Amino acid sequence: MTQLLTALTLTLALALPAASEAACFVEYKAKRDEPLKLQYGVAALPGAVCPSRDSAAAQLGPRLDRAGWTLLTVQSLSTAEPTAKMKANAGEFYLRF
Amino acid sequence: MPVSSTSASDARRTGSRLVSIGIAAIVALLAVAGAVLMLTLPDANAFNARVERIFVENDNLTAQTEVKLLEILAQSGTAFSDTLASYRTVIFVLLVFATALLVAALVFLVMLVTLNRRMAQIERSGIQVNSLIISREENMAYLNTMGFKLTEAMIETLAVLAEARMDDDILSGAQIEAMISGRDETDCEEAAGATRIKRLRDGLGNQMVSEMLIKNIARRGYMLAIDKDVIEVV
Repeated sequence: MTQLLTALTLTLALALPAASEAACFVEYKAKRDEPLKLQYGVAALPGAVCPSRDSAAAQLGPRLDRAGWTLLTVQSLSTAEPTAKMKANAGEFYLRF
Repeated sequence: MPVSSTSASDARRTGSRLVSIGIAAIVALLAVAGAVLMLTLPDANAFNARVERIFVENDNLTAQTEVKLLEILAQSGTAFSDTLASYRTVIFVLLVFATALLVAALVFLVMLVTLNRRMAQIERSGIQVNSLIISREENMAYLNTMGFKLTEAMIETLAVLAEARMDDDILSGAQIEAMISGRDETDCEEAAGATRIKRLRDGLGNQMVSEMLIKNIARRGYMLAIDKDVIEVV
């Protein structure tokens, strides 16, 4: 029983980061008008495989729009964990949208 | 002198056409300048759009400090474009003033030319009648500023001619006589009217010539009332 529980916990513990790794990380650029504000951010899209740039933009656009931002461009799509530099550059916009 | 009066009004007509063409040209020119001023100068968003393009086109412009710097650049551009907008208003107002001044200058110029031509016409034609006032009570006829004392019969003839002129009528001698004497036209003779005209011409002409050409200076004598430089004997 305990063995089973341990195994389950282990599986879950292993599966969770795997689940987060299964996301697609999108580097994007967005703006806000009057006064002009620019944003570089990283967002996560669900799914183990990255969608095309266009569909990623279509998914990300409304999310940003709700917060008053306009998506300018999708810079890159990657399933790999963002680098430390990307995290630092995105700052407060890392996985915010 | 119908010929000279026609050419004088011709000059005025050409002048007014010239003025309208000139004014249209000036207004069109400055309207184009105004349109160029208003439409081609960058608006407030031009700087923002440029900064935005730089941001999008350069993949490595992602560091927070760089992004902040770009934002500041855009803001200073916007501030500059606000100044530009106020300049634009000032320039536009100046343009309007310039238009008004140019139009006025053109009108005055053409007026001057027309006036000069008219002056030359008047100088050549001698007397230009601007007003004719017939005063029956005083038995006076005022031509421009000169007053001429006439007899009652002459005033009557002049009044009949003036009325006919206002109606654009031409009167025969018999008609003149009929209107003055009150008799029927068939009972009047052509010669009677002609005599009246002759008397009017004599009376008016005499006084006019004495006023304008051969002056009588009291207790001294007679002299020609013209500039001695214009006299030439051939």
